[in-house]
Amino acid sequence: MENLKSKKLIGYYGFPERSVLRSVRERFGSDLEFIDLDVARGAPDSMVIQSTTCRIIANIVDNAMELSKRLTAIVADVGEGKCDRGRYAAFLLRKTGFNVIESRFPPEQFEKRPLVYSTAEGSLAERVDRIMQTVIQSPSSVNQTRACEPTHGFWGVPPHDFRILDIFPPTTHIYGWTRCVEAGSPGDLEMECYVDENVPTVFFTQSFCAKQDLAHHLAEKYDGLFVDCHRDVNNSILSKVEAFIKLSYPSR
Amino acid sequence: MKLADCGSTWTKILDVESDSLEIITTREMVRRNGSPFAVATGHSAEKRCGIFKNELLALAEGGLSFVDKDDFSIVDVGGRDIKYIRFKGRKVKKIDWNLACGATTGVTIELLANYYEIDFSSLESVDSWINVTCGVFGMERVLESVSNGESPGRSVAEFIHGMVRNVFNFTQRPSELYLSGGFCDNKCFLDSMDKYCKVIPLGRAVLIEGLKNEIKY
Repeated sequence: MENLKSKKLIGYYGFPERSVLRSVRERFGSDLEFIDLDVARGAPDSMVIQSTTCRIIANIVDNAMELSKRLTAIVADVGEGKCDRGRYAAFLLRKTGFNVIESRFPPEQFEKRPLVYSTAEGSLAERVDRIMQTVIQSPSSVNQTRACEPTHGFWGVPPHDFRILDIFPPTTHIYGWTRCVEAGSPGDLEMECYVDENVPTVFFTQSFCAKQDLAHHLAEKYDGLFVDCHRDVNNSILSKVEAFIKLSYPSR
Repeated sequence: MKLADCGSTWTKILDVESDSLEIITTREMVRRNGSPFAVATGHSAEKRCGIFKNELLALAEGGLSFVDKDDFSIVDVGGRDIKYIRFKGRKVKKIDWNLACGATTGVTIELLANYYEIDFSSLESVDSWINVTCGVFGMERVLESVSNGESPGRSVAEFIHGMVRNVFNFTQRPSELYLSGGFCDNKCFLDSMDKYCKVIPLGRAVLIEGLKNEIKY
């Protein structure tokens, strides 16, 4: 967090409505940068929430506590696109003294934007990162890339530890919540459950996340691989994914 | 030339020239600190071998060597984890690897058996079971059961039955299941498994068999 030490920031998590993000900027200052609190940024454990909590929620709280007074406001996604723990995190952060603005992203605001990075060829980690940047960037600033036929799939949210993404081949398509984000439809359950059924897919969630139920169901349905991970990935988890990638192949 | 399957608690070492299999504790393998194995797999192997092979890949190739059917399911139940592969037309259709939460049940059984001095060769299977969410939760249930007056033997047998149910569900409830690993020698485990499906024990050298392709040329 070295380059953030003096800047005032607007924190956000999940996928807040764009109109809420705009109005918060207008209200607190158009020069303020946004910062995604979901992402692991090396913040120390704040011990505000219990350790058996989804690591992404822990990141939100730990990042907020670490940034503290630099956060002019926090835009909290508390709708169906996030989770109850995200809603409770907003409640706890407000009680702690943060200026929390809630957003719910209702279905009538879903955008149906074209999928570019989800179906492109290239580094999976970079494409996931770019998709998450579209939350605060206008669609016109998204660079075009080349689409490819998928050999594998990654389903889920951006992981706490991106190293797990590095072992996927560049021909991996992105599904689940991350795909919904690129489409501008973060709470679209039907889209979240969509995968190309003949493409071997890793269904990833953080441990202690409610999405484990979806991931397990989908992995059973499509003969995919269910992977959950708490905090950083370890060699066993990497080996498991590596084996799946080597042993599986599209069945078209 | 030596091939090895270095698990978290047990290490299986095959001397290729003499075709002899040695099974020692991983603690002993670490203590020996001998020359690296030519080819190895397992949690404790990566820094101790010339060629390291992923455990699921070793199980897949070993399973195909041991079983000549087109369609079959194989599970390796270890101390720390459970690995599962379902083949269709001798190609991998489904794999899974139970790690962290829900795992470490194998080593927990060994710990409980050592603590209560249980002889697995005479331990009878039981129809009741306890929920074995993971090794720690399962151990807590055994300690509670013994505290409430149940015999340690029956409590451990219930733990084993609970673990068997986990394995059966984890392997997608097959009618027939090939078993790899140390539980092939555990009568209570096999008898408990028979309550759910036909189990065919393959012994403790399946993963080592899967390493042999690495030395063929």
